[in-house]
Amino acid sequence: MKLALQNILHDRGRFSVTVLGVSFAVFLMVFQGSLLAGFLQAASRLIDASDADIWITARGVQAFEFGTALESRVREMAAGVPGVIETGRVCMAFAVYRTPVGKQQVVALVGADPNVGKRFPVPDRPESSDQMSPDAVLYDVSDRKQMEVETLPAEVEINRHRAIIEREIQGYGAFLGVPFLFTSYRNATRYMGFDSGEAMYILLRTDKSYPLSQVQQRLRQRLPEVDVLTQKEFAHKSRMYWTMKTGAGGAILTAAVLGFLIGLVVVSQTIYTNTVENIEEYATLKAMGAAQVFVARIVLTQALICGLLGSILGLLAVVPSIGYAKSLIPWISAPWWLPCTMVVPSLAMCSLASIVSVRSALAVEPGRVFRA
Amino acid sequence: MPNDFLAVEGASVSFGKAQARVCALRDVCLAFQPGTLSLVMGPSGSGKTTLLSLLGCLLSPDDGSVFVDGVAVNRLSEAERTVVRQKKISFIFQAFRLFHSLSALDNVALGLEIRDPAASRRREMARDLLLQLDLGDKLHQEPNALSPGEKQRVAIARALAGNPPILLADEPTASLDAEAGRNICQILRGQVDEQGRTVIVVSHDPRWERFADRTITLCDGRVEEEVAVP
Repeated sequence: MKLALQNILHDRGRFSVTVLGVSFAVFLMVFQGSLLAGFLQAASRLIDASDADIWITARGVQAFEFGTALESRVREMAAGVPGVIETGRVCMAFAVYRTPVGKQQVVALVGADPNVGKRFPVPDRPESSDQMSPDAVLYDVSDRKQMEVETLPAEVEINRHRAIIEREIQGYGAFLGVPFLFTSYRNATRYMGFDSGEAMYILLRTDKSYPLSQVQQRLRQRLPEVDVLTQKEFAHKSRMYWTMKTGAGGAILTAAVLGFLIGLVVVSQTIYTNTVENIEEYATLKAMGAAQVFVARIVLTQALICGLLGSILGLLAVVPSIGYAKSLIPWISAPWWLPCTMVVPSLAMCSLASIVSVRSALAVEPGRVFRA
Repeated sequence: MPNDFLAVEGASVSFGKAQARVCALRDVCLAFQPGTLSLVMGPSGSGKTTLLSLLGCLLSPDDGSVFVDGVAVNRLSEAERTVVRQKKISFIFQAFRLFHSLSALDNVALGLEIRDPAASRRREMARDLLLQLDLGDKLHQEPNALSPGEKQRVAIARALAGNPPILLADEPTASLDAEAGRNICQILRGQVDEQGRTVIVVSHDPRWERFADRTITLCDGRVEEEVAVP
């Protein structure tokens, strides 16, 4: 297969353009893939952070950010269903936040009972080692600029109520373009003006000796006016809403597909030109007795070399770029497997791009070797 | 004819359709034995190259048969003819047809890779072939850096890779000066005398006459004259 390598190296200019084309495509695919992965994670981050087995929501709630109030009896009725061992409450509402310097802006205020989950950002969790006031408010470090907090603790106002921002957390940055503020459930209902008995979400932990589906079924029978979803179901619903129904996921996915198509066209064009320019060599190979597989392998190898080098270059460029992008888009996420798996579509892209070229090389008549 | 090592029997070949149809070979019967050098001559359009294509399994006759080592190759599939070429036939071209991105050594090694994929010491074997043709100092040169005579010797080394019994040469000296041409004639004659190969040379070059065992003259697709050189 030295011929394959030497043929592409012989025309270094064209080879460089092909590799750059592939690397651009890989860059775009991985970057857009990271946006999509981050978007999906962010869309259900708070749901995933809970330890609850079941979420009860008002009928038709599409995503965590759009909850509506449930009657207080729902929690009591749910608690009485066999298999439910613990209940917790979560609420979320948009609120007006006044910064320490007096500026106002909208924030998404989330309040939760301390038992909803170890990873759920709640200030007054009993097992927490931090000594923090139950009235404390937390925000994500990536939103520091928007919060305009110079030192902690800082006194601010939420819906004209005094609040104390005590700490910064990580991993729960703005997803809607509006910063999240986290506080206790009791505190949140006070800021939101809710009845303390009301909740937007009721989170249930179940006894593992009861099949989850069975508990869910019983809850549905007892509470037909609300939605009873497992944590996975609600997370999936939330992700689908943000990606599919808002069109945001579609836009990101389209850009990734465009990256693939650009790479496909660039590689296809270059490999085809290279094949046509060397068509006499393929005729000579066939006259020498080279089998069709041997000829096809040369063209395919050229495409795969371009694909592999382009992928490596694209990945080398995209990793630091995503690192930098994190400072601008906190929820972007490149799981380790994403760049690795992107090598597969990029090689598939190059193989696909070589099909026309392989056909040209295979179709050449070996008899043309005698033409001048 | 089937008993001959290489033969065409009543072969006719035509190209084109309807009024544009051109008959390149008409009922040609020829046989070639191992250890002989045959020179095929004739004016342009007489069918020399078509004959070479038939003998090289690159073309099938419209009528008649082509035998290689007793096998009627015109009845074989394209893939089977490819195997016949791979095992038994090598070509030498006027335009050399070397792979421009490969060194002389790699060109010959590629010939070995195609004809003998199992060979383990391809590069050493290629080096030996080039040394035999006095190209020891050109092993790593690309074709563009070689003189026409050197290119043709590399092409011959590539043709000899895998030890094929039949060599078909199309105007192998047409692009060479007198000395380089004579050298090529001697090399191919040597392959006949020392290795017992069947060599068929298509050429206008009269220098070949004294190296050939017989001369075949074609005219208008027919064998006009067949003369054995004493």
